[in-house]
Amino acid sequence: MKKALVLLLCLITIISSVFAQGAKEEVDTNQPITLEFWTHEDDARQALEERYIAEFQELHPNVTVNVTRQSAEKLRELVQTAFAAGEGPSFFNLPIENEFQYIEAGRVAPADYETLGFKDAKDLLNAYADGMIDAVYYDGDIYGLPLETTNWSIFLNKKVFRDAGLDPEKDYPKTWEDMVEVSKKIIIRDGDIIQRRGFDFRYSYELTYFVPMVEQLGGALSESEGCVNKDAWVKALTFMQNWGPQGENLGNPTLTAARKLFNKDNNDIAMCNTGLYQEARILSDNPNFYNSGEWMVVPYPVFENAVKDVAGCYYAHFYMVNADASAAEQKMAWELIKYMLLTPGHAEEYLTNVGLIQPTKALLESDTYASMPYSDVFKNDFARAHITYYGKGATAIQSAINSAIKQVMLQGADPAAAYDALQKNVMEILAD
Amino acid sequence: MKTKKYSIERKQARWGFAFTVPCLVFFAIFSFYPIISAFITSLTNRDAIKRTWDFIGFDNYVYLFTQSNGGFSLMNSLKATGIFTIGTFIPMVVVSLLLAVLIMQLRRPSHSKIFELAFYTPAVLSSVVAATIWMILFQPTGLFNQLTNTIMRTSGRDYQWLTSDAMLRASTIIVYFWKYIGYFTILFITGLASIPPTIYEAAIVDGSSRWHTFWKITLPLLKPTIMLVSIMAMLQCLKTFSTQYMFVQGGTAREPIDVITMNIYYTGVVNRRLGRSSAMSIILFVIMLFFTFLQFKTQKGDEDVEY
Repeated sequence: MKKALVLLLCLITIISSVFAQGAKEEVDTNQPITLEFWTHEDDARQALEERYIAEFQELHPNVTVNVTRQSAEKLRELVQTAFAAGEGPSFFNLPIENEFQYIEAGRVAPADYETLGFKDAKDLLNAYADGMIDAVYYDGDIYGLPLETTNWSIFLNKKVFRDAGLDPEKDYPKTWEDMVEVSKKIIIRDGDIIQRRGFDFRYSYELTYFVPMVEQLGGALSESEGCVNKDAWVKALTFMQNWGPQGENLGNPTLTAARKLFNKDNNDIAMCNTGLYQEARILSDNPNFYNSGEWMVVPYPVFENAVKDVAGCYYAHFYMVNADASAAEQKMAWELIKYMLLTPGHAEEYLTNVGLIQPTKALLESDTYASMPYSDVFKNDFARAHITYYGKGATAIQSAINSAIKQVMLQGADPAAAYDALQKNVMEILAD
Repeated sequence: MKTKKYSIERKQARWGFAFTVPCLVFFAIFSFYPIISAFITSLTNRDAIKRTWDFIGFDNYVYLFTQSNGGFSLMNSLKATGIFTIGTFIPMVVVSLLLAVLIMQLRRPSHSKIFELAFYTPAVLSSVVAATIWMILFQPTGLFNQLTNTIMRTSGRDYQWLTSDAMLRASTIIVYFWKYIGYFTILFITGLASIPPTIYEAAIVDGSSRWHTFWKITLPLLKPTIMLVSIMAMLQCLKTFSTQYMFVQGGTAREPIDVITMNIYYTGVVNRRLGRSSAMSIILFVIMLFFTFLQFKTQKGDEDVEY
């Protein structure tokens, strides 16, 4: 009797363990769920997403969504600090150069293909234009969905051009050398003090605007060799030195960002380097200027003696889900991401209302995209561009390049010496 | 059976200790624990977003003293912090003392209150707001450049308040000086007010001049306050962050004003190297401890002022 009882207990134990392993874990998404969603500030996008979230909450009354919006710079620090403390949000977005490390460190979850309505990673990859989401394809899985993929071209104020005696349609800069000459004609100074600039760079985003300039001259930024081709880097640094107060005094990093001034149409800047989203911001900030037709977009320039035709890099913001969130939270986060990004018509709204490009094949081939002002310029520049460097030490390398540019522009450093220091620093960052 | 008898002093001391316990617990949790935690972290290769890390002994300290930390070395930060501290703390102590003495000379209390308020107001302003306002003033089209042009009898010259290394350092010093001068002036006024007027009356009777009274009475009796203010001012200067951070955010070069706290921030929060940034913060802590100790040592005995 005793023997039979022991045998029975063993059998029950074995059977129950087999069933426990075989049964699929059920995720209860009907329980009350709170999603913490952290993203960067953008007024036009906020209005759109607030509506999407309200609609989503109507469909899922058990879900509460707390949205935290911060400036792009602040958000990067906030997300990082929160993850360091084990208190990361349910889902968030950052530029890929700051986001890739989260994939490598296993802090974000692979996409829930079933929830998103795809068979597998390949099926999801196929929905997007070639190469556009490769950055989040890691070890056979996809770790994020793109909120935006953005490249920068040159926005131009026609009135300022005409005021300087230039014809915007003919005289817009095709090369960086043109950019200097055109800026020299547009600039107004009181002695040394700049009152009106032709153009200025977006300092502190060197991986996006400066590295392509180096590549045009035959250089590169490599994860194994650092700043490749000294000659190209020195030429690009010399160009920046000539641009700044130590040279032609056409602009510098301490002046108000050109992009911020452009929308105001105050005759203080003629050109700036920015993305398609700027169109929505001009419309929002200064509808008269937007509707006046006094602005246009022209391609990203190249150097006259360029050995490679490269436009400004494109970068992407991906919505990613915290791997430490509960299964229900993760599933619901993917549900909300799907609702915001993949619901029919939403990608078009992001494009028309906010100027954000979600690089699905459907959107890029749509009439909506084609009808956006100057979308052909951005499309052609996309074809000449590649994604910004997002590999090892991307943030630190960007700081090091920024520092080298400021050394030559503001501190009068010799470009060759600045390159040597930069290469040493970049190699140290890569070896770290 | 014998019952223990305690003196009143001892009883008071026991009660005193009892009242101090909450404060000690508070400090242990919010000051000592973070220091110990930072020291332990400084012995690791902890990355902000990686799940695991290893103990690497004193490698972070060796790295900081031998490598460039991606172009922003600790040595440069020590230099930037040193220049800023010396350039700010000494003038701040001297000028705040002089201002306090001048304000105390005012006969009408309402007048002195107006000056106290005027000098103190910047101290309540957020450092971020203050730095942002001053960034505008230091722009080539801003007030300071115009003022410099007027003083130097030039026109349209850019004095590079934000672009030249020396001027950039001077700009951060001016902002900090402006912001905290009132705070230390108030501390000196408090110290001056505690000197009994009878001592000054006796000096007047003895025919002492104002200058003589200042050097022979005011200054010696004010030494405890001077020590307090100088230690506080020095520690505050060593910990400066917001002004430099806002300037760099505004596009200035980082190296000339890359004070240690800012390097800690960029290394830990931006570049994720928590172990290395903790090592930097321990080094800063040791520096602050050393200078505080040094000041106590050099002014030993001066605190025993009796009126």
